[in-house]
Amino acid sequence: MSKKECIAMLLAGGQGSRLGALTSKIAKPAVSFGGKYRIIDFTLSNCANSGIDTVGVLTQYRPYRLHAYLGSGSAWDLDERGGGVSILPPYATQDGGAWYAGTADAVTQNLDYIKTHDPKYVLILSGDALYRMDYREMLHTHISNDADLTVAVMPVPWEDASRFGILTADDEGRITKFTEKPEKPDSNLASMGIYIFTADFLIKTLEEDALDQRSSHDFGGDIIPKALADGKRLFVHKFEGFWKDVGTIASYHETSMDLLGPNPYFDLYDYKTPIMSNDTTRPPHYIGPDGKVDDCLVSNGCEILGTARHSVLSTDCVIGERAIVEDSVLLPGAVIKAGAHICRAIIGENAVVEEGVKLGSVDTTKDTAVVGNDVVIGKGE
Amino acid sequence: MINRKAIGYITANYTSREHSVLLDSRPLASIPFMGRYRLIDFPLSNLANAGIKTVGLVMPGNWRSIMDHVGHGKDWGLDRKKGGLFPLPGNPYGATKQGMRFLLRDIISSKSLFERSDKPYVVLMGTNIIFNLDLNAVIDAHEKSGVGITMVYVHAERNQEDAMSLEIGDAGRVKGFHQGCHYGDNKFLDCVVINRDLLLQIIDQYSSADYLDLFEAIRPDFERIDVCSYEYKGLAMGFFNEETYFRRSMELLDPTTANKLFMRERPILTKAHDAPPAKYFSGAVVCNSRVSAGCEIKGTVRNSIIARGVTVEAGANVVNSIIMQSCVIKTGAHVENAILDKSNVVAANTELSGTPDDILVVGKAALK
Repeated sequence: MSKKECIAMLLAGGQGSRLGALTSKIAKPAVSFGGKYRIIDFTLSNCANSGIDTVGVLTQYRPYRLHAYLGSGSAWDLDERGGGVSILPPYATQDGGAWYAGTADAVTQNLDYIKTHDPKYVLILSGDALYRMDYREMLHTHISNDADLTVAVMPVPWEDASRFGILTADDEGRITKFTEKPEKPDSNLASMGIYIFTADFLIKTLEEDALDQRSSHDFGGDIIPKALADGKRLFVHKFEGFWKDVGTIASYHETSMDLLGPNPYFDLYDYKTPIMSNDTTRPPHYIGPDGKVDDCLVSNGCEILGTARHSVLSTDCVIGERAIVEDSVLLPGAVIKAGAHICRAIIGENAVVEEGVKLGSVDTTKDTAVVGNDVVIGKGE
Repeated sequence: MINRKAIGYITANYTSREHSVLLDSRPLASIPFMGRYRLIDFPLSNLANAGIKTVGLVMPGNWRSIMDHVGHGKDWGLDRKKGGLFPLPGNPYGATKQGMRFLLRDIISSKSLFERSDKPYVVLMGTNIIFNLDLNAVIDAHEKSGVGITMVYVHAERNQEDAMSLEIGDAGRVKGFHQGCHYGDNKFLDCVVINRDLLLQIIDQYSSADYLDLFEAIRPDFERIDVCSYEYKGLAMGFFNEETYFRRSMELLDPTTANKLFMRERPILTKAHDAPPAKYFSGAVVCNSRVSAGCEIKGTVRNSIIARGVTVEAGANVVNSIIMQSCVIKTGAHVENAILDKSNVVAANTELSGTPDDILVVGKAALK
């Protein structure tokens, strides 16, 4: 048995149903993002860049591609002796076994994993947001407050506050109130779904929660309100940087666009804390004699014979002659054939837009067009 | 599938007959190529794609950049408990700068690699000529023919004095070979399948001729040994000097040509980096070029190969050039008909030009 300061439990089992066609065959954390990355890369890279060497990844929904992508964890330097990445799917026991019924239940079912590593603190993460964070700073906040539980929060515009789980804290940062989507918020500190628990408290709390018939076994819905009611030491850790959930089509598209431009909201080029990925080895991309690329991210293996403007082009995409791609995201292997024109669209992995097809609209009041993975869009569809 | 028949042996200690600043800081085997690769990636990938899990790598004296690149061989699946990548001491400068690529002395000093293997065959490869070959097909043909040695060749599409030509007789038997090759000759790819037992016998019997190349040593006994040939029908490119390096690289701008070398079913593997996708800013103009990850392009790039992490500032021009990793082309600078080795900074509003017939070559970090 090892003794660790802090280990991470990464909740990666959700379906991500709000991403629609993009998650029909693949778990949300494994969805491609930012050209050469997958959504889980950002959280795993944060772990690696924060010096956390033990990460349990809790998986459930369509896990194969996610498991294959995680591999040994070596892509994030997380292939560590006595730690590293461990994939933790639901499992059978002598009593039968069950699916993960909620975020807290998923961790409860893996208390043995936590106890094996015997950490002082447990960091609970989810793999569905774009942000850079040094979890050591949050751990420092937690330790200096002698907290039982610390919740990472970020200030949001007051008018948006009623869309989030809102935490109210006193001057010392001690949480006094937690309200899910309040109609009249009295704070603008939104929970980022990132928690640090003192391990003993976490284990005791989850063991009690497991026995509570009325609980839905959710961190936000059950664990935090209960801990507050019990008078435990709950504190906020304020995060001031860029953080964005990529859990809906609209936010996925918007966040992708946030990577572009001379001063992007999220800078992939910050080499001090690199975003690591389990990339495929493909040759540098090719821009043809009549190719035009303006304000784009372009990944390896692409072949661009037409025009791309203000778009994210993932590995192995093809843009045919005279085709135009604007304000769009092409996922790995997407093919836009000659003369097609796509605008404000997300084109799934290995999807094909046939010659001359027009898709999407500049009208921002309309929904972003989405083509699912492997789908072929011909004329008249 | 893991290859049960063969181990690999790469001689990475050969160089160019002609001096080049590109080789001041590295052996030819680790010369950067096509933006993100090095020549050594090609033999390693050919072996990896055939499932070969034991590879001996004969090192030159200046091996630092090779070890930096290949490490434990993880990117080629060679970080094995059974087998793995074995760096081997080699003649520091290669035996001859011309001729074959398998110095007998190096093979003799690698004897324990061959003795410890339980596989019947050894695949010998050099690093000057690159190709993408299904080695299992060669091994199968070799096994079926029952010969001792199979030499792989391609029909030469151009004259090349540094390559070797095979003289092939009936039933594909190799009767001899000679230095240099002309259009239509059988150009040897420095790629061989040899019976391991035979190789061990040669090590014992020819040790007094250890200053020779393997094939020069056994030339008088070709008939007895039974040497056969195998024709490779894909794309092969030889690198023997700056001119061939520049011309062959530029030919790969054409996607049809590049796809013959970089195919998904047999990928060319290389050391993984975490460079983000290339970023194009408003105002960038790029045509007929290959651009690698981690580049920031604000200026103009035409008919060029841009390696990882290069910055082309606004108003800068790069034409008909190869720009290696981490170079910066400052605003208003003009680079044409040039090869810039890694980490050069071209000052604002300066011109750096060769001619199509006389390419300007700038060594590593020469401009700061």
